[in-house]
Amino acid sequence: MNRRAAYAVAVAAVVLILGAVLSPGFASWPGLRAVLIVASFTGFVAAGQMLVVLVGGIDLSIPWVLNAAAIVLTTTGLGLADRLPLALALAVGAGLLAGLVNGLGVAWLGVPAVVMTLGMNGVLQGLTLGVSQGLTCGDCGHYAPQPLRDLFAGTVPAALLVWLGAALFVTVLLTLTTFGRRVYATGANPRAAYLSGVGVKGVTVALYTLSGGFAALAGIMLVGYGGQASLGLGDPYLFESIAAVVVGGVSILGGRGTYVGVIAGSLTLVAVTTVLRAQQVPEYGRLMIYGLVILAILFAYGRERAHD
Amino acid sequence: MTVTATGVGRAFGGVQALRDASFAARPGEIHALAGENGAGKSTLIKVLCGAIRADTGTVVVEGRVATAFQELSLLPDLTVAENLLLAAPPRGRLGLVRRSRLADEAALILSRYGASGVDPRSPARDLAVSQKQVVELVRVLALEPDVVFLDEPTAALAEREVDWLAGHMRRLRDAGACVIFTSHRWREIERLADRVTVFRGGTNVATRDRLSEEEAITLMTGRTLGATYPDVSEIVPGESALTVTGLTSGRLREVSFELRRGEILGVGGLAGQGQRDLFLTLFGAGKPAAGRLSVTRATGGTAEPVADGRPSARAGLLPDWPVRLRQPRDAIKAGIAYVPEDRKAEGLLLHLSIRDNIALATLARRSRAGFIRHRAEKAAVSGIAGKLAIGAGRSTAQAAGTLSGGNQQKAVMARWLLTDADVFLLYDVTRGVDAATKHDIYHLIADLARDGKAILFYSSETEEIAGLCHRVLVLREGRIAAELPGPVGDAETIVAASIREPADA
Repeated sequence: MNRRAAYAVAVAAVVLILGAVLSPGFASWPGLRAVLIVASFTGFVAAGQMLVVLVGGIDLSIPWVLNAAAIVLTTTGLGLADRLPLALALAVGAGLLAGLVNGLGVAWLGVPAVVMTLGMNGVLQGLTLGVSQGLTCGDCGHYAPQPLRDLFAGTVPAALLVWLGAALFVTVLLTLTTFGRRVYATGANPRAAYLSGVGVKGVTVALYTLSGGFAALAGIMLVGYGGQASLGLGDPYLFESIAAVVVGGVSILGGRGTYVGVIAGSLTLVAVTTVLRAQQVPEYGRLMIYGLVILAILFAYGRERAHD
Repeated sequence: MTVTATGVGRAFGGVQALRDASFAARPGEIHALAGENGAGKSTLIKVLCGAIRADTGTVVVEGRVATAFQELSLLPDLTVAENLLLAAPPRGRLGLVRRSRLADEAALILSRYGASGVDPRSPARDLAVSQKQVVELVRVLALEPDVVFLDEPTAALAEREVDWLAGHMRRLRDAGACVIFTSHRWREIERLADRVTVFRGGTNVATRDRLSEEEAITLMTGRTLGATYPDVSEIVPGESALTVTGLTSGRLREVSFELRRGEILGVGGLAGQGQRDLFLTLFGAGKPAAGRLSVTRATGGTAEPVADGRPSARAGLLPDWPVRLRQPRDAIKAGIAYVPEDRKAEGLLLHLSIRDNIALATLARRSRAGFIRHRAEKAAVSGIAGKLAIGAGRSTAQAAGTLSGGNQQKAVMARWLLTDADVFLLYDVTRGVDAATKHDIYHLIADLARDGKAILFYSSETEEIAGLCHRVLVLREGRIAAELPGPVGDAETIVAASIREPADA
């Protein structure tokens, strides 16, 4: 774990302790469980966002990839448990496909990542609205299949184990495999990586594809959590994913960062919101403080980097 | 209207581009700056015209200054007219640019300076290189400056355009201006310059009114070729390792040659004659238009075995394997290694660990099912790092950026030594490296040749090519202009072959 990830963990710990002191019940398992579940959604999207940020890219298509996957899931699953495997496959497949197209556009056609993924976001938004005819699935009666909802039941909900699995997957991929090494090399210096035999384009495409997959996974989990898909479900997650990545100590320029840091970043963001809400800070105040906290953390990182 | 620089020093990163350099030019003279690549001419011009600041020393320049830099400064998406009138476009009421008059005014300027062949409405990017240079020069001339700096103004010009420029330079001089220019073509310096100042290694070594070509070359290269270089004459080149036929790529034009095992083949010539295109294309990172490359692989023995003990596919003789290189990965597979000049831009991943850096080109070899075998990697990396004495006992887990310049270059070399390639393309590998490390690198190269590796060697210091190579190919305008049997020994021979105009031109 690098120094910046260690800072991110420390910041998360401080915020959580502060929460425990300020609001009773926060430190209890039910309180913590709620924070963890909400943080897991940010954690999924931020996993994908981190992967593309590691090579100096960005994925702005997360909101509607997430939303499209959620709609695909509910409209193909129809709330029936026996249709769930098919629905899951289609939802994840849709996310991977969107990510693949993003990756091909960025790596092979040379479209700037901001333009490519923003365009993808718009296309998916239009497509989703068109196909669903603007109706949320609450109205059309397509609910989350029961097994998906069960992920959020129990003292230790299975959803958290899914997050743990995702965390292990990302961490192993990045630290133990040749692919991970190529990711960091590409992010650190794409030209030097290319001249050392790294298939920079292939790596880039794979990462955008994975980001699409993670956005879809977040969409699936959100359907299970809320019981249904709604339009606009993914809207908060663009900001959340980028904020979690940056607060998690991942260099926005690429080449540096770990998922441990991003988990800490996700927890920090959710804990700050939860504490503020518990303190009954009004909405406008919450938003301002939230923004200021992120700025303060980034300011601290910036100073730290100057001493590197 | 004087130009004086006294005791000027300027460093870029760790490289001292100018050290204690002094220069003076009088009004009403054409003053040439001569010297090899990296001698400090361009840096001096940038300091004199105020584009960069000197670290030490004083600079006094009086009068209206205009500069044509070596790197063209036209904005490619603007038209010729917009580029020419960028600083002072015709304005109407309210201070808005009067676009209707732009082209007319530009046409007037172009014809006044005898360059009416250029269409003022054409976007700069559509012009030929020589036309771009002409527009750039017109832009400078139109300022009617008192002091003019022209850095390599003729490099992109044809004979007729050189005459055109010479006329303008003389006119400015006769009007009392101070004209300072650089050129790699000795004939032009002889023809145009009233005085010449020769630079070597970042400082001025002589200023003369008259200077013969031979004297100039001696002054430019210096004659310090001691026992710095290992004796390569006792290494006898063996059979062919790489054959290049009719290669045309970038600036290269129909280049053919053979590189043999155990041979250090030098690539000489002035800067920008296609050397870089040659190296990158042979490594699969160029865009060849035509040509053929075949590689004969080494016999048995030296290949590193793969994880499960199977012999590597690289063992065994694969005669005349025609290679298609789409990307560097293909070249690496074909047993070719490329060590780049600019280790920060093309070699190192500065904030990754030394180990990650050294292991990068051979990751797949120490992996199982895509997982890195960390212990094998550590062993391989510490082995090579120890052998090259990289970082003086420092842990290979530290960031590569913490190494000194010389050690960084050694780390890049180490990466390629691990690939166990048959052919090493070494492109200006000693640039910006301290003397001791240079010495180490020379001996490393000789050791590689002794092991039967084939080496293609380019250096911006011609002296190195002369001292280290079995044979030298001199490139000019993308073609092999001369092949000098080695050891050449002295840099003058190579420099002379680089600037001597071909007899039939």
